Amino acid sequence: MIVYVARRVALAGLVVAGVIVLTFAIAHLVPGDPAATWAGPHASAAQVAAARRYLGLDRPPAVQLLSYFGGILTGNWGIAIHTHRPVLSDLAVVAPASLELVTAAMIIALVVAVPLGLISARWPGRASDHVIRAGSILGVSMPIFWMALILQLVFAQRLHLLPVAGEYSPSLLFTHPLTRLTGFGLIDAPLTGNWPMFGSILGHLLLPAVVIAAYPAGLLTRMIRAQVLDTIGDSHVQMVRSLGFSERAVFGRFAMKLAWNPVAATVALVFAYSLVNTFLVEAIFDWPGLGSYTTASITSLDTPAILGVTLFIALVYVVANLAVDIFQAAIDPRIRLR
Amino acid sequence: MKPHRAGLLFASGSALALLLAACGGSSNSGSPQPTSTASQVFTYDTTATVMDDGWDPATEYSDAIIAMNNMYETLTRYNSVTHKTDPLLATSWSKSADGLTWTFHLRHGVHFHTGRLMTAQAAKAALQRTIKLGGGAAYVFTPVKSMSTPNQYTLVFHLSYPAPIDVATSAAYSAYIYDTQAAGSTASSSALTKWFNTPHDAGTGPYTVQTWNKGQEFEVILKAYPGYWGGWSGPHYKKLVFRVVSQDSTSAQLLRSGQVSFVEQVSPSVWQSFKGNQGIRTVSAPSWQNLLAQINSKTLSLNLRQAISYGIDYPGIIAALHGAAVPSSGLIPDGLFGHSTNLPNYTYDPAKATQMLKQAGYGPGGKALNLSLTYTQGDSNEQVVATLLKSSLARLNINLSTQSLAWPTQWAKAKSSNEANRQSIFLEYWWPDMPDPSTWFTNLLLTEHPPYYNISYYSNPSLDKQINKVDELTATNPAAGSQLYHAMQVEILQQAPLQALYNVNYQYAMRTSFTGFVANPAYANVVFVYNLKPTG
Amino acid sequence: MIEAPSTLPAADARLPRGQALRRGLGANPLMVVGALMSALIVVIALLAPLLAPFPADAGSATHPFLVLHPPSAQHWFGTDNVGRDIYSRVLYGARISPLIAVIVLAISCAVGIPLGVAAGYFGGWLDETIMRVTDIFLAFPPLLLALALAAVLPASITTVIIVIALTWWPWYTRLIRGQAASVAGRPYIDSCRALGISRWRIIFRHILPNSITPLIVQVSLDVGGVILTVSALSFLGLGAQDPTPDWGLMVAEGQDYFLTSWWVVTFPGIAILVTAFAFTLLGDGLRDLMDPKRIFLR
Repeated sequence: MIVYVARRVALAGLVVAGVIVLTFAIAHLVPGDPAATWAGPHASAAQVAAARRYLGLDRPPAVQLLSYFGGILTGNWGIAIHTHRPVLSDLAVVAPASLELVTAAMIIALVVAVPLGLISARWPGRASDHVIRAGSILGVSMPIFWMALILQLVFAQRLHLLPVAGEYSPSLLFTHPLTRLTGFGLIDAPLTGNWPMFGSILGHLLLPAVVIAAYPAGLLTRMIRAQVLDTIGDSHVQMVRSLGFSERAVFGRFAMKLAWNPVAATVALVFAYSLVNTFLVEAIFDWPGLGSYTTASITSLDTPAILGVTLFIALVYVVANLAVDIFQAAIDPRIRLR
Repeated sequence: MKPHRAGLLFASGSALALLLAACGGSSNSGSPQPTSTASQVFTYDTTATVMDDGWDPATEYSDAIIAMNNMYETLTRYNSVTHKTDPLLATSWSKSADGLTWTFHLRHGVHFHTGRLMTAQAAKAALQRTIKLGGGAAYVFTPVKSMSTPNQYTLVFHLSYPAPIDVATSAAYSAYIYDTQAAGSTASSSALTKWFNTPHDAGTGPYTVQTWNKGQEFEVILKAYPGYWGGWSGPHYKKLVFRVVSQDSTSAQLLRSGQVSFVEQVSPSVWQSFKGNQGIRTVSAPSWQNLLAQINSKTLSLNLRQAISYGIDYPGIIAALHGAAVPSSGLIPDGLFGHSTNLPNYTYDPAKATQMLKQAGYGPGGKALNLSLTYTQGDSNEQVVATLLKSSLARLNINLSTQSLAWPTQWAKAKSSNEANRQSIFLEYWWPDMPDPSTWFTNLLLTEHPPYYNISYYSNPSLDKQINKVDELTATNPAAGSQLYHAMQVEILQQAPLQALYNVNYQYAMRTSFTGFVANPAYANVVFVYNLKPTG
Repeated sequence: MIEAPSTLPAADARLPRGQALRRGLGANPLMVVGALMSALIVVIALLAPLLAPFPADAGSATHPFLVLHPPSAQHWFGTDNVGRDIYSRVLYGARISPLIAVIVLAISCAVGIPLGVAAGYFGGWLDETIMRVTDIFLAFPPLLLALALAAVLPASITTVIIVIALTWWPWYTRLIRGQAASVAGRPYIDSCRALGISRWRIIFRHILPNSITPLIVQVSLDVGGVILTVSALSFLGLGAQDPTPDWGLMVAEGQDYFLTSWWVVTFPGIAILVTAFAFTLLGDGLRDLMDPKRIFLR
């Protein structure tokens, strides 16, 4: 086990190093002059040169790569051009809102996917199965930026059921200002007993979370269906069945248990994946997270910020992969031998 | 500065919304306010970051004027109805017969937000610092040779040539009177800038800064300054919130539900949809802003520039913008000195354009002419214009590739030292810093090496001479000045280094819960909130 | 890539091929629907000039006096912010992102297959190197890397094709490598070698044909994913530029108007959804037919 874990960690380290090299390479594809962008429109030639020095762009590429590496490892991820703040501190500010949003989306996805997947697997081939399968494929085929606009139009603009955009209702800014402790509004509000704020954040979170949930819900429904059908066919479960347990018990007690691990692994991976989908949704809902930060970075051609986000999500992805592998190896020794 | 006012689709909004939230909390401490703050708080919905160019009243040269004009005051204020300046911090003024000496009598007993008395000496120090820093629109004081203060409340300007200095003192930028000793009587000018950016204000206006949530949706919150010289009796808003909302749909919803009081800019179709809504008032106001197409005169010959100018579907552009645009004549918008309807303006004339292109070997049946155009990202009106230009030029066998860029990028590309990187046509809005038309000429058309705002890269020495003397001529002999402006516009139309595609019609929408709003094109998009009367 | 064992009953291998196919199709009406919809989209793409009432509107034509008209008998899907017929543009859009998807997948295969075969057949350090490189690429969700690249390159369809292909090939390399390695390890390949059959012949006659089925399944499943990625990049302004009638771009341009003119955003979005849905249904069904053992979904 230890050997396996060490090997996986070493591989993950290698991948991270590669990811850093890759983002560095992308940074050097940028046409135009980041120093000029940094210095701003009123800058003189001398100020641009100073900016170039300040940003370290006057050194040879190899040296820049080394210092980029060193910087990443020591927490210096460069300075965002459009905010003039360190990328890492920007990320620390915006990431919690996105993690909050994606977590909510995953909960919604599971609430939808688990029952649907089970129903689908319980009676395969029936009309309900076909409808659920079609629905799950619809979920993974959804252009979520479009879904965001449509839901916003219908639920917020026409039906006035939910707030249009933002993180919380503006009037609360004066009556119940939010005190930030963790950066996660949904945790901070109850911690400080700020229930109106909690309700407001929840209401504002709902639409974007439903949109982000479309993809994981579709994917997980299919996963669960496939896993459960697979385990039902398993000799182990067949034996349970032959021992006279009811179909319900076979399903609830045995098949689900076996199916659960791969599903949990998928949840971890699709979580990291959904962080990217926030890019397409947050700006529409004015949700102040990674996605809004990224779209702002794109319009201002803010390469350090874009690459910071890229690196951050890649790291989340690598870590999630690693955690899943180790977790699975821990419960299923066969995997270590692969 | 010039770019923008159009708001960036993504760039604003809530990029860093959580930032400085703690700050917002602390400054809000104290007794919680009643839930129905509607009659107390005026919320201004804007599309772009408000304080994106710092808090220094001397150099701020961007969208912040909507906030600055509520914190700071100028000696005079331009009245767009009478075309004259009204008293503000100066109660009266007079000029000498030769127009070289202007004497301003200042209002008594006005205090800066720092508590210091606003005197002639303080006003002089403020203007001197502004002139010395030379940022923003400080050039409006170019005619000022020196200032003197014969007594505590008298400020005298000595000019090097005759100029309407009472108009300069009403400028929307860089004419603010502020306390230069706000950061301490010995603090340096740069220390004062730092103090401003922390953020502070040191004006005499009705409101003073309460909170700055940089990058947040609720970006700037101003509160009433209790010692304001105008007093606080009668109905007035006590708090002023600048809310950055990048999406039209959100703005519309916020206005409908009464969560914002005033929406600065939405797309024409959304604005139209407000009409007839209960509780919403729509105001359409002519502006001094026009959309310019600056044509690269280094790469495009006179013949081609004229052909392009004939190939633009002006009526089509105005129709597609649904009332947000009105036809322009020459460069100077209606309401400004020098405006003339009697000019040889271009009309959409594809036949003539084809004929001119043919002379150069281009046009239908000839070589294809490949051109590029850049416009500011996030401005849906500019996007419509770019698409229409592309379409009407395509009929002339001109391939126009259009690119939307964030304003700093668009501008940097235009100024690129590698001329091959520059665009053929540059779309941007232009409007004056003070009620005077000279900016269209001095900034956009004077020979510049390297280019700054002269993005046509146009150089015409005889025009340069005319531009350099028009200000003085206007001050001494208005009729001759007007004639010169006319002659210069005729020359520009003939040379075609740039075209005004249309004049902007401001389309504001606001709640009916207040009265007293006056759109003043001299202070684009500024709401002087103190002058409003909340009614419920 | 997220993968999981699939469980649909496989078409019985002992049945004659045609009968197995019919049985498979009968068990999977969704695939039939997907196939029909996909075919319809291909037909629309091919016949767009004949079907579109205003073909010029898919190009540079504009009608400034007809802007933002709601759907009517003349303009079934209404008109956009410069007066173009949205119905015509949506039809022509079937030529943009689906075609981009085909090109992207072709490039990805052209790069991914040789590398996968090389890694799987030869093994050793070559395998190790190629696999570690794919590990790095696979550490990014595809949209993320495409977006980072597209954000620093000039926006165009070419850029979109390059960046998506760049993020897509490693999936195929891995897939082919796994198949090739398992085929290469089988005894009959050893016999081939012993018989002195050339390396290339083994690769082309034995390894590739045996690896290709799961690849075809995966490619067909990926069409929808690529279309969604293309649309997402266009939506962010990093892809096709006006007046290209790309669906994602049309949604982005309609965003400013959708509050008052819902049709501008709605119809291009439905086109994306229907297309991605149709191809995914088809791919999903193909997978069930040909490769019952595993599903791959991104």
